[in-house]
Amino acid sequence: MKRSDFQRVAPYVYEIPQTFRADMRVPARFYADGELLEAALGDKSLEQLVNMATLPGMVNYALAMPDIHQGYGFPIGGVAATELPDGVISPGGVGYDINCGVRLLGTHLDEEDVAPYLDELATELQRNCPHGVGRGGKIKLKRNELIRLVEQGGQWALKNGYATQMDLEHTEENGRISGADASKVSYRAFERGMDQVGTLGAGNHFIEVDIVEEVFYEEAANRMGLFPGQIVVQIHCGSRGFGHQVCSDYVKRFQPVVHRYGIELPDRELVCAPLSSPEGRDYLAAMSAAANYAFVNRQVLTHLIRESFEWILAGKVKNHHVYQIYDIAHNMAKIERHQVGKQTMEVCVHRKGATRAFGPGSAGLPDRYRDIGQPVLVPGSMGTASWVLVGTEGSMAQSFGSTCHGAGRTMSRTRAKKTVQGGTLRNELEEKGIRVRAGSIRGLAEEAPVAYKDVDRVIEVVHGAGIARKVARIVPAAVIKG
Amino acid sequence: MSREAIEIVEHTADWSLRVRGADLGELFTNAAKGMAMLMVEDPEALGDDVARSLDLEAYDAESLLVDWLNELAYLAEMDGIVFNEIEVNEISETRLMATVRGGEALVLDKHIKAVTFHNLAIQETASGLEVTIVFDV
Repeated sequence: MKRSDFQRVAPYVYEIPQTFRADMRVPARFYADGELLEAALGDKSLEQLVNMATLPGMVNYALAMPDIHQGYGFPIGGVAATELPDGVISPGGVGYDINCGVRLLGTHLDEEDVAPYLDELATELQRNCPHGVGRGGKIKLKRNELIRLVEQGGQWALKNGYATQMDLEHTEENGRISGADASKVSYRAFERGMDQVGTLGAGNHFIEVDIVEEVFYEEAANRMGLFPGQIVVQIHCGSRGFGHQVCSDYVKRFQPVVHRYGIELPDRELVCAPLSSPEGRDYLAAMSAAANYAFVNRQVLTHLIRESFEWILAGKVKNHHVYQIYDIAHNMAKIERHQVGKQTMEVCVHRKGATRAFGPGSAGLPDRYRDIGQPVLVPGSMGTASWVLVGTEGSMAQSFGSTCHGAGRTMSRTRAKKTVQGGTLRNELEEKGIRVRAGSIRGLAEEAPVAYKDVDRVIEVVHGAGIARKVARIVPAAVIKG
Repeated sequence: MSREAIEIVEHTADWSLRVRGADLGELFTNAAKGMAMLMVEDPEALGDDVARSLDLEAYDAESLLVDWLNELAYLAEMDGIVFNEIEVNEISETRLMATVRGGEALVLDKHIKAVTFHNLAIQETASGLEVTIVFDV
């Protein structure tokens, strides 16, 4: 693809017309500035965006956020809404890490309170929060208990002492997607998920202690309890082996199914089934179970983080209480109602590396945030800033209540490892005062900031296009990686 | 074979391998060895103390390849065993029987979340077969 295939239709919005390729069912839109557009032309992400536009039942546009990068099937940063009842649902359009997401926890501490104990706190968080490849956690569940967990989600965590009522209120869908059905999940998914509740995993997942650097929207920041200099904590992880297996099972099961429904696709990873079909319904029920697993995973990690704060800071600071600001999913398909033209439609919104960003007054928001819009959490690359945003009327009107999810990669993992040495990177971050606790030094290099886009630039685009509004910029103090 | 049997291909977010083989058996063997090299730096150093027999059936050759690699990734995640010696006993486009040998890795460098179907197509070339596989990591 080339620059001239795109037409700028509004500030920060580029369009690829439906005529670009014969199999497109809708046009595609990419939120970007000129530089991000050039960067995206460097890999296959925009071709993957065009592929998304071929899915049966697509509504309005195939959308891509400014943090787009090449994935498999959908690009990372893709948003696709399909019409009910006969539009499709695509397991590859959600991804293997179902309900990978971000949680932001607030504290009543400022950086000076924590500075003397930061090293100790980082070490303790790494010790107490299981991390690394396939690493089991502290909780081992029997199959029956795991069935209850994936069907009840956050409610299971509440009953078992891992959550507070406020935690659940401040979680997308209150931490429980209804319609989760464990009978649609394979034995192997349960086997893989048995001992991974409350574990971080590896790759780009992390726990980060951050400092609020600047507030841009006072009222929303106040509502979230955010203030400059404040210590907050981010968790980024998903549904672990349980979700990976659910996706693998259904991508495999759907391979012959597409032919049965007469669906032609440009990439086998896009396999899908009508939402009204038994296969489509089964996947939605299994995906919802995996989504609930991920909500509980982040909830149990929250519990472990609270333990660590207590062990290191109790008696040394005035108030070591850790409260939940919000928890969002960025790999998910959800049935939602959206205004399309003059009518309200029920659609299945696939967000693959994109965040729900419901505007003020939307149904499903907790009372605390109803009039400011849904908090949106956008982590930057390791060692760089992250952002807190809120959803807007613009995101509801333009992008099915969706916005970006991160910085977005620009460099392959292989190239990052050739360019950057893990040990050197750790030293550079430590020199900036950022504590790094990493399970794998080789893995650290793959996540080097140089391999990612500039998150501030991504945020300028979503803010400028009106599909989210800046609330606060936060910077890292300590990073714990798998 | 004149060209490299296992080659790392640049992919922005994940890992990708191009694998070649004279026939399906060799292609599947090389794909397994390539994935083992992603999981640990030196798979051969792990030895061959553990053996498993696998018998897989699938919809077509590409699905069989994904099943095969997913099975090995699963054994690595659950038991920490990386298999590097592959003996294909019988193979068709829809069925694979193989004996695999390997050893326990105390730490895996890379967690293969899943093997994807992204643009997956086994192609015939002048020297045999070739496929490019994208792994979600």
